[in-house]
Amino acid sequence: MNARAAILGAVRDGLRGASVPPLPPPVEPPAPLAVAERIARFTAVQQKLGGVVEAVADRRAACARVGLLLAQKGAAVVAASDAPLLAGLGDYVPADVALLPPDAPRERLLQADIGVTGAQWGIAETGTLVLASADERHRLASLLPALHVVVLPVRALLGTLGEAFAALQRDGAPAARTITFVSGPSRTADIELTLVVGVHGPKALHVLLVRDDG
Amino acid sequence: MRVSPLTPETFADNARAALADATLTGALRRATDTFAERRAAAIGAVPDWQELRTRAAAIKAHTLARLDAYLEEFTANATKAGATVHWARDAAEACAIVRDLAQARGSKRLVKSKSMATEEIHLNAALAQDGREPVETDLGEWIIQLAGETPSHIIVPAIHKTKEQIGALFVDKLGIPPSSDPQLLAAEARTRLRAHFAAADLGISGVNFGVAETGTILVLENEGNARMTTTLPAVHVAVMGIEKVIPRFGDLETFLRLLPRSGTGQHLTTYQSMLTGPDPMGQGPRELHIVLLDNGRSRIVADELMRQTLACIRCGACLNACPVYQSIGGHAYGSVYPGPIGAILTPQLQGLHSAGTLPFASSLCGACKDVCPVKIDIPSLLLELRRRAVAGEQVPAAPSRGAAPTTSKPARRKPLEALGWRVWSWVTRSPARFRLATAFARLGQKLPFAMRLFGPMRAWQSSREAPKLAARPFRDRWRGDAR
Repeated sequence: MNARAAILGAVRDGLRGASVPPLPPPVEPPAPLAVAERIARFTAVQQKLGGVVEAVADRRAACARVGLLLAQKGAAVVAASDAPLLAGLGDYVPADVALLPPDAPRERLLQADIGVTGAQWGIAETGTLVLASADERHRLASLLPALHVVVLPVRALLGTLGEAFAALQRDGAPAARTITFVSGPSRTADIELTLVVGVHGPKALHVLLVRDDG
Repeated sequence: MRVSPLTPETFADNARAALADATLTGALRRATDTFAERRAAAIGAVPDWQELRTRAAAIKAHTLARLDAYLEEFTANATKAGATVHWARDAAEACAIVRDLAQARGSKRLVKSKSMATEEIHLNAALAQDGREPVETDLGEWIIQLAGETPSHIIVPAIHKTKEQIGALFVDKLGIPPSSDPQLLAAEARTRLRAHFAAADLGISGVNFGVAETGTILVLENEGNARMTTTLPAVHVAVMGIEKVIPRFGDLETFLRLLPRSGTGQHLTTYQSMLTGPDPMGQGPRELHIVLLDNGRSRIVADELMRQTLACIRCGACLNACPVYQSIGGHAYGSVYPGPIGAILTPQLQGLHSAGTLPFASSLCGACKDVCPVKIDIPSLLLELRRRAVAGEQVPAAPSRGAAPTTSKPARRKPLEALGWRVWSWVTRSPARFRLATAFARLGQKLPFAMRLFGPMRAWQSSREAPKLAARPFRDRWRGDAR
């Protein structure tokens, strides 16, 4: 007998005649928060987690702000995703900075100082950025560099975790093969429970909230 | 310091040694106090905490009672998404699956993120025999791998080590200048492990939740090492206990509200990776393999009372709340799973014959039950396992396939002890005999040597004060006052 049949058989035999308590019905998502409230909460939680949140007017302003950040931080190599919001980024990248597309060789991406990506949703309650891989290749740019800069349309900022899980399921399936929740820069407390911000993932997180992403 | 691995059988000696280690007990006290404060602050901000616990417990109870159906649903959906699902009856089979996957692909450089299931099956040792020992990438796990030790806490594996000890370890193993600054030590880990991530060809992770409805696995973490492990190598192998399955994608919300708050006092850990099949287009691994691990779990499922043990989501809150764990730490339990959850889980996974001491390592104060996010009634299960251990009953556990069913040693009660209990019973059945006996005892306790009891009572007194009888019994005082 193969392992699958043996395990399932043992479980089935063990549960024969067992009473099955009911599965609680799904949680009703709470009433959505007003947009100002969502922005305020998201910003407050991100700050507590060590992230920075800034508002920008539109996609052009977002790209300009990213360009300025690259200059300020003295970045040499930047990894960018293929987010539509970042389509014009090339015009704002300083001349001495190498801009890597998502399909750049892995060795190059590992050298990037800054990663610039979009996010599919934000969650105000938890200060979370939701990265779904179906519409954007941002897995490496959001993970490898020490600074992760995210452009997030205000329109995509949800109120609660419950709203996010409702939005994340399309026809029963998850919205993407890879969905990553990012709440602040990476951290550890593995040494004497002392908080250290910045371990294997980004050491800093910078969010640009884009008011008008049209 | 330790020469041989600790086992549950030597629990009493392990505990005594731990209590004598002032550095250890100091580190434990600070850590568990901090955890308790953070957890209390985090759940204090959640108005419906009790409803959340009730809901999570109900989801788990339902799922475990239909585990076969949910496992089949999970497997079908994960397979549909392109993952390969493997089944392992025991530790040896699970290790062999991972080893064979690595061998067939010629994978030499393995990285691993924190996973209790892989600790349980001793995967690193099995792969090391094949020359493919994975590099642990969680900071705490990396520290104990460098030290050649085992985790002492489910969430913070190196909780037993001070920053000075870790600094000294880094000097010794990595040749860096001495430092006890957690910031610098963590930066060193980032630099060193980057190289391993960059070169890795196979990544191993655990699974916090597997969603039956979608075939999704969720891995939760703070450091980013699990994202690295599940993104950079071409092959990702996830080891998942069969009890980790939950019915619906939306149920993740409930558990994500409970787990980080209970574990570290965070409202959410920094990262959650929800992976549904391999994702090469999204820059992830080409292959995703999920190893479903039984290793004694199907037998626990069959035991209606003990089944709730499998509801555990490995948050570690019961460890931090337990006065026994707070005093002796994780290693003394001699098992991968320490603390209250370890005291009920280990005897069921390994058998009472080898871990039957652990259910006795508790004062039954109930703190574990109060903090458990999925409401496991740990004190009741401890009592039931004690009963079974004393009665010499079989527990639903078999260490490996083909082995004969094991029973714990039958009633250890000695003839003298049995006689003692018979006398006690005879004395206390009659008010007159009881009065006479307590009168003698009152006289006796005035003698200076009398309280140093003899025989088996002396062992009982080694860590306890015998209660003193009042100079005038309550019975007499009651009569006197009523007069």
